[in-house]
Amino acid sequence: MDEAGYIILLPIVVGVILFIFPDKVKIVKGLITLIISLLTSFFAIRLYQTESTIVDLSIFSGLIAKDSLLYESISGIGTYCQLNIDPLSQLITLGISFFAVIISIYSITNITKEKKLYHFFPFFLITLGCAIGAVLSDNLILFLIFWGILGFTLYKLIKGYDEESSAAAKKTLILIGASDSVMIIGIALIGMIADTYNMSELNISTSTGIGIMAFLTLLVGSFTKAGAFPFHTWIPDYTKKAPAPSSAYLPASLDKLLGIYLLARLCTDIFTLNQWLSLIILTLGVTTIIIAVLLALIQHDYKRLLGFHAVSQVGYMVVGFGLGTPLGIAAGLFHMLNHALYKSGLFLSAGSVYQQTGKSDLDELGGLSKSMPLTFIAALVFALSISGIPPLNGFASKWMIYQGIIDFGKQPGIANQLWIIWLALAVIGSALTLASFIKFITGIFMGRRNPELESVKEVNILMLIPKIILALICISFGAFATGYFVPEIFFPVVGKFEFVGVWQSSFISLLVVLSVILGLLIYLSGNIKNFRTADSFVGGEKWEEKAAFPVTGFYDTIRNAKVLKTIYDKAEKGWFDIYLLTKHLVLSSNKVLSKVHTGVLTDYAIWIFAGLSIMLIIYLSV
Amino acid sequence: MDNLVILFVIVPLGSAFLIPIIGKFIPHFQKALSLLALLFLCTLILNYLFTGNSQCIIYKVAGWEAVENVPIGIYLVLDGLSAFLLLIINSIGFLVVFYSFSYMRKYTAENYFYTLLCLMIAGMNGVVLTGDLFNLYVFLEIAVIASYALVAFGIEKDELEASFKYQVLGGIASLLILLGISLLYWQTKTLNMADISHVISTQADSKTTLFIQIILITGFGIKGAMIPFHAWLPDAHSSAPSPISSMLSGVLIKAIGIYAIIRLFYNMFAITYEIALIITVIGTLSMVIGGLLAIGQWDLKRLLAYSSISQMGYVVIGIGMGMLILISNGDKMVASMAVAGGLFHLINHAVFKGLLFLNAGAIEYATGTRDLKQMGGLAKDMPVTSSTSMSASMAISGIPPFNGFFSKLLIIIAAIKGQYYLLAALAVLVSIITLAYFLKFQRYAFFNKTKYTGSALVKEVPFTMAFSMIVMGVLCLVLSLLIFPGIREIILSPAVEVLMETTEYSSKIIGL
Repeated sequence: MDEAGYIILLPIVVGVILFIFPDKVKIVKGLITLIISLLTSFFAIRLYQTESTIVDLSIFSGLIAKDSLLYESISGIGTYCQLNIDPLSQLITLGISFFAVIISIYSITNITKEKKLYHFFPFFLITLGCAIGAVLSDNLILFLIFWGILGFTLYKLIKGYDEESSAAAKKTLILIGASDSVMIIGIALIGMIADTYNMSELNISTSTGIGIMAFLTLLVGSFTKAGAFPFHTWIPDYTKKAPAPSSAYLPASLDKLLGIYLLARLCTDIFTLNQWLSLIILTLGVTTIIIAVLLALIQHDYKRLLGFHAVSQVGYMVVGFGLGTPLGIAAGLFHMLNHALYKSGLFLSAGSVYQQTGKSDLDELGGLSKSMPLTFIAALVFALSISGIPPLNGFASKWMIYQGIIDFGKQPGIANQLWIIWLALAVIGSALTLASFIKFITGIFMGRRNPELESVKEVNILMLIPKIILALICISFGAFATGYFVPEIFFPVVGKFEFVGVWQSSFISLLVVLSVILGLLIYLSGNIKNFRTADSFVGGEKWEEKAAFPVTGFYDTIRNAKVLKTIYDKAEKGWFDIYLLTKHLVLSSNKVLSKVHTGVLTDYAIWIFAGLSIMLIIYLSV
Repeated sequence: MDNLVILFVIVPLGSAFLIPIIGKFIPHFQKALSLLALLFLCTLILNYLFTGNSQCIIYKVAGWEAVENVPIGIYLVLDGLSAFLLLIINSIGFLVVFYSFSYMRKYTAENYFYTLLCLMIAGMNGVVLTGDLFNLYVFLEIAVIASYALVAFGIEKDELEASFKYQVLGGIASLLILLGISLLYWQTKTLNMADISHVISTQADSKTTLFIQIILITGFGIKGAMIPFHAWLPDAHSSAPSPISSMLSGVLIKAIGIYAIIRLFYNMFAITYEIALIITVIGTLSMVIGGLLAIGQWDLKRLLAYSSISQMGYVVIGIGMGMLILISNGDKMVASMAVAGGLFHLINHAVFKGLLFLNAGAIEYATGTRDLKQMGGLAKDMPVTSSTSMSASMAISGIPPFNGFFSKLLIIIAAIKGQYYLLAALAVLVSIITLAYFLKFQRYAFFNKTKYTGSALVKEVPFTMAFSMIVMGVLCLVLSLLIFPGIREIILSPAVEVLMETTEYSSKIIGL
């Protein structure tokens, strides 16, 4: 089981060493990072093939002499260093190392162009090691340590060069750090109930108040990391200002994997849920889907738009876990993987566009499909995938979630009877996702080209390869979902289950491909020279002839619809942002307290005697 | 080792005496002597910790032996707790002296600065070593009078005002402490702490004892800046020269305030529920209100000063919870965990708050301002200051793997296991607030756009200042190791054991 030790230590140690090198040799650091990521992936594959076991500190026996002081002092914490290798942690480890490889390839050329971002690669590697450490650790305290370090590296992977980006960095770490602190309570409660911190030994019922508190506090950690309502508000701010590889690496892929990993552990291993908790989780899940997608619709900044989708998609995963059935959990995990694939792909595409154009507003872009064809095709695959268009992977996992909900409705229970609501909202969310991605694709790649953007070129090969790989995986995951990937990957994790509906993904994919080919043949055969011309139909809007139209304009209708308008106005003022709400509360209490501190000496002396008198009165009069 | 205990008082006191006399004629004498003195004391205490197996050393000043088990001379007692505090005082003192080499250049009268610093350290060493209550008062006065002068060292308007407030409120504290001590003397006819403990346990007049205890809590509470006795601290700690702020916040309030409370109420008085509750409540108030006060500050050093109040609240909660659990016959393991968390946080706070004040000093040295609104973008120009202050900020906010995380973890887990859920929730809440205001500090000082428009270019600080900051920045990480059993047993556990024995301390000293 040496892999388990190396896979955690190697990236961390190399990452720390990389701090020594100056930032001038970023390319070298990038290459080292790539090599280490590849090595980690190699270990992760080896680990994936091993039997599931629980390993303790003896894996380090090769590194530390048995009789040294170091060994003695570490051996006392043996139970705190237990690692758990089971199908779930193996799968997530593999996913993490895969995304590290993909994004480090992309970063080599992209990050070297980012000025004022210091120590990207060291923090990248430390993140990698800690993420894997968090996934593999069996002990909750060890888990919390790795988990907490990830919040810090997240903070260091955004550059705070101006007011807005430094505010985003601050908000991110406050929310993440706060959730980590809250998790301490949950872990301590578990320690009190069960007298052990090892996940593999836990099975806590949520019938007592303490059990429920422990579950909810840990749920806060999971939701904040993954970005589910109401703790999601750091993600859009972060993705707007962070460099693309950072966004693709943490909020889009690793944080999702980790947050959902924790959710999986909570729902399946550590706790047995009661029906009210299922209801809460499902409600939060669909709320996440709807709220985030509604906000995504009105965004003008494409990185922020992607950020809101990174939130919205989490809702589907949460719904999957809220169902609690093997099908639901497998669907949630499948959607997590798919989401990480297409969302990191989307961020990488967005980063490419940003690097070539320097613009982050949809209104200023357009017509880039000719200048950046490969980026366009990749982005199109990702966009269709996230919108749930068959036969791509996003559809496959959403379909599993819908199946899960329908199946869930057949059983008795409060949450079960409301199945139609969950289903309806999930489907609506998917439709709205499509709507906002039409805006994304059209705004950047379609339409007439902004004259300023005439000289834009395709990005270099190192930035293309990751996107192409991700797009191919998206397609193949979708095409071979039912036949190969779901049984191969998820049956070991959640156990065997039956699909409720009928969906032969390979067969359907074949049909889709055939119909596309058929259409192409008809088009190419040259019969369609004459086609009808008419005024553009734009959904009943008044059409004004313009040289270039801002695609975002269409969405103003939604923005200004009666009920939605008030909601949107409030949302823009931060009414639904838990961070801003708490901030106001804390600052106003600070104002009250500061007012009392007058600076007058006699006042202060009076406080002292008041304190003294209160103590004396209470205790000497008893 | 036995006879070397007195050196902890003699060496800094002697240095303080020699510096103004010889320093007048030999340049740099004051720096060399104070540095060497503190280095010597550091090695001495490390030597004790690593070889002494934490046995208790009793040094009878001038060789006065006890008569029929009644001590008549002054005892100096070096046990786990004293050693723990001595380590903090002398090592932070050493780093602060090193830092001052460059920092104090802009002040005149360097001789007096080092004299006062040595005097303060002599006082603090005496307070944590002495086994005699009146002697404790004397050493305490030496330390605080030196600190009054040091706060006013800049002799500008603000400094003098701060020092004046500090003196008045500190004077009230000293009076209350003296009153408490004289009442105790009246009640027990002895001043030796072990003997007092012995006498009190035999003659039970709990009402008088409680009165004395409340007087003493107030007195030491003022010295330790617990809310509502804290009002002098934000002015005093922010007006002093930065290395001194670092000493005051990092060490002084612990050595003369918190240490005295711990020692007297664990080892001298028998623990009572009332006192345990008072201490816990005061700790909670300090933690919450201090945190809420800090978040609105724009003066960097005031922010740090308020945060000291809040962080000391954590220490006191750990201590108070330990008492509550012991008195209600709870699990002794949980009690010792709470106490260990408190003491762990104490040493952590000494390091990171000391470092943060040094960072504030470095920023002031380079840019000339303490106002967060006028800083910005310093990360590029001051990499050492920026990275060390990041390390300290993360440590104090409890982000792993920095040391503050582990001490807060211990305190919160102990609170939950002792079923003080409210305390655990508040500790978490304040930890979040702490994170918020330290990120505010990071954001406004080191990120954002550069706002500083002074005439000179901002440069990184000179070597001696940078060196001290780097050492402490690394310590913020290294001290996490104290959580490991093998290392914990050398430094932290002996101190916890001393407190867990409670009043058996007395029989250990006077041999009954």
